[in-house]
Amino acid sequence: MTEAVSAPYGRDRRPFLRRLANASEPYLYSAPALILIVTVMLVPLVIGISYAFRDMTLLDPFSGGFIGLDHFRAIAKDKTFWLALKNTVYWTGYSVGLQFAFGLILALLLDKPFYGRGLAQALCFLPWAVPSFLSGLNWAWMFNPVVGPIPHWLYGMGLMSAPDNILSDPDLAMWGPIIANVWWGIPFFAITLLAALQSIPRDLYEAAAIDGATPFQRFRSITLPFLAPTIAITVMLRTIWIANFADLIVVMTNGGPADKTQIVASYIFTQAFRRLDFGYASAIALVLLMLLMIYSLLIVFLRQTLLKER
Amino acid sequence: MASIDITDVRKAYGSTKILHGVDLTIQDGEFVVLVGPSGCGKSTLLRMIAGLEDISSGEIRIGGRVVNDLDPKDRDIAMVFQSYALYPHMTVADNMSYSLRLRKTAKEKIAAAISGAATKLSLTPLMERRPKALSGGQRQRVAMGRAIVRSPKAFLFDEPLSNLDARLREHMRGEIKKLHQDLGATSIYVTHDQIEAMTLADRIVAMNAGLVQQVGSPLDLYDRPANLFVAGFMGSPAMNMFEGTYRNANGGTVELAQGVVVPLAGPAPTADGTKVTLGIRPEHVLVGKTGLEGIQALISLVEPTGFGTILHASAFGEDVKAFSLERGVAVRGDTVSVSFPVDRIHLFDTATGSRIG
Repeated sequence: MTEAVSAPYGRDRRPFLRRLANASEPYLYSAPALILIVTVMLVPLVIGISYAFRDMTLLDPFSGGFIGLDHFRAIAKDKTFWLALKNTVYWTGYSVGLQFAFGLILALLLDKPFYGRGLAQALCFLPWAVPSFLSGLNWAWMFNPVVGPIPHWLYGMGLMSAPDNILSDPDLAMWGPIIANVWWGIPFFAITLLAALQSIPRDLYEAAAIDGATPFQRFRSITLPFLAPTIAITVMLRTIWIANFADLIVVMTNGGPADKTQIVASYIFTQAFRRLDFGYASAIALVLLMLLMIYSLLIVFLRQTLLKER
Repeated sequence: MASIDITDVRKAYGSTKILHGVDLTIQDGEFVVLVGPSGCGKSTLLRMIAGLEDISSGEIRIGGRVVNDLDPKDRDIAMVFQSYALYPHMTVADNMSYSLRLRKTAKEKIAAAISGAATKLSLTPLMERRPKALSGGQRQRVAMGRAIVRSPKAFLFDEPLSNLDARLREHMRGEIKKLHQDLGATSIYVTHDQIEAMTLADRIVAMNAGLVQQVGSPLDLYDRPANLFVAGFMGSPAMNMFEGTYRNANGGTVELAQGVVVPLAGPAPTADGTKVTLGIRPEHVLVGKTGLEGIQALISLVEPTGFGTILHASAFGEDVKAFSLERGVAVRGDTVSVSFPVDRIHLFDTATGSRIG
């Protein structure tokens, strides 16, 4: 009591260490998560971005100096980059489009009850469980006329003049990884769209059937509006993943022939780990990051408008 | 407008039989209520009329035409669902005009039809809203509006008021009745609520376990229930039922437990010694002071409802419920005498459950 009275201005008389412990308590609780995030995400991100503005070549011991925007000027003039950017749009557009179309068809089929549906669902979702690297190798073999059947089938159907490997044909090579990617990615769309389909109240379809809607009109005026927000978010996610997804291309064509299948992501991989030019690779990565961010902002905006309409 | 004929309609899912042969004729312009406990098959029957369920066997005719193999849209009926089933991304006006737009009706006709329906249901200020922005009662009205714009041959209602609170339900009940009086359309209404059935119906179809138990006017079912199921289902508080033995002596009596003998109005058309169930509605049980003619009973529970009082009296080992509009007839612990007026007694055969006399 006397101590408290004698204390001028009610100064905290607790021992210094105790006060320190109390003040730092909230920081100590959040520290493990913060430290983890900073060390594994923020630090590498900042270092990676800093490479884009530095001359970083692994084999050159004198590299590492700051060079400003030189890399970006080089990118602007880099024909391979522009080709890769074009290929990326082509690769992403066809992959996402076909994955979505087949995924939606599969989801609609699996939404109807039939005997053995549980087994069919499990089997349809199997490709998703195959590592992308393995599926790339498998498809590369299937397209190879020496061990795979596909060229012979295409030749037999008269679609090809000779049973050649499409992966070595500059005009067709991109379709190899795209087909592998579509096969591998359909389950993702099928699962998410099926979940959304099953959340649509059955009553609505019955009401529409009584109102006189044909199956297609029911699909258009009930199914599609209900799926729209899910479609927007899944297409956005898949677009970003696929634009960044170089595994299949690296395994199946390695960007060839003549850079015809080089996408930006695989070009970054080539620059960084084949040519060991980390600075230039970082600069390209930064450009890709910016483009994808603009794209996702657009999609998020679109989704908000769709949700507001409900 | 049209009549609906249902002939020996059955429904089975695999080996599970839901409906065991239903025969029913609904007159043009009639309001028929299908009532029964959950799982009695009433909704299934309605959905078969709508075309949402296949008919396993039997025949359904709407306006004389067999509709067994017609799609719902070709049966020219409208249905109001329990969940309302409004299209969430369409405005009220679009919800109501959807069926007309699908039928490529002329724009002016559509506008006239929906504005007429909107006026009738006082929905005019809500036409541009989406269902999300409406209250339960408003959604219910939109669902009805969607049904009436098309002037179909028949309206089907599948427990349309179950999702509303008690006060709103009472209100909408009145609206539906008025609407039916206005439009005079053939209507089939499914509910498990016997008050809804009593108040709305021209005729009630009481169903249980996939069988029609009784068809008749609401008061028919209330005053002359055909069997124990209907007797127990209609009315709240429920009818008192006591098992006993029929005796022909003394102009017809029923022997209840503990030697209590209840006189009947006259001899019943059944054999002496038949096991019977005596039924009497709580509002018909007379409760009086001891010493009067009747059965000695002890008041075990008093439930005031405001509207009246439910008395529970223990007599001959049973709980006898009595309903009185008066208050303060008795308090818990009172000894009273209860009696059953002879003209209010219902007699059922215990073994078959069907009415005697």
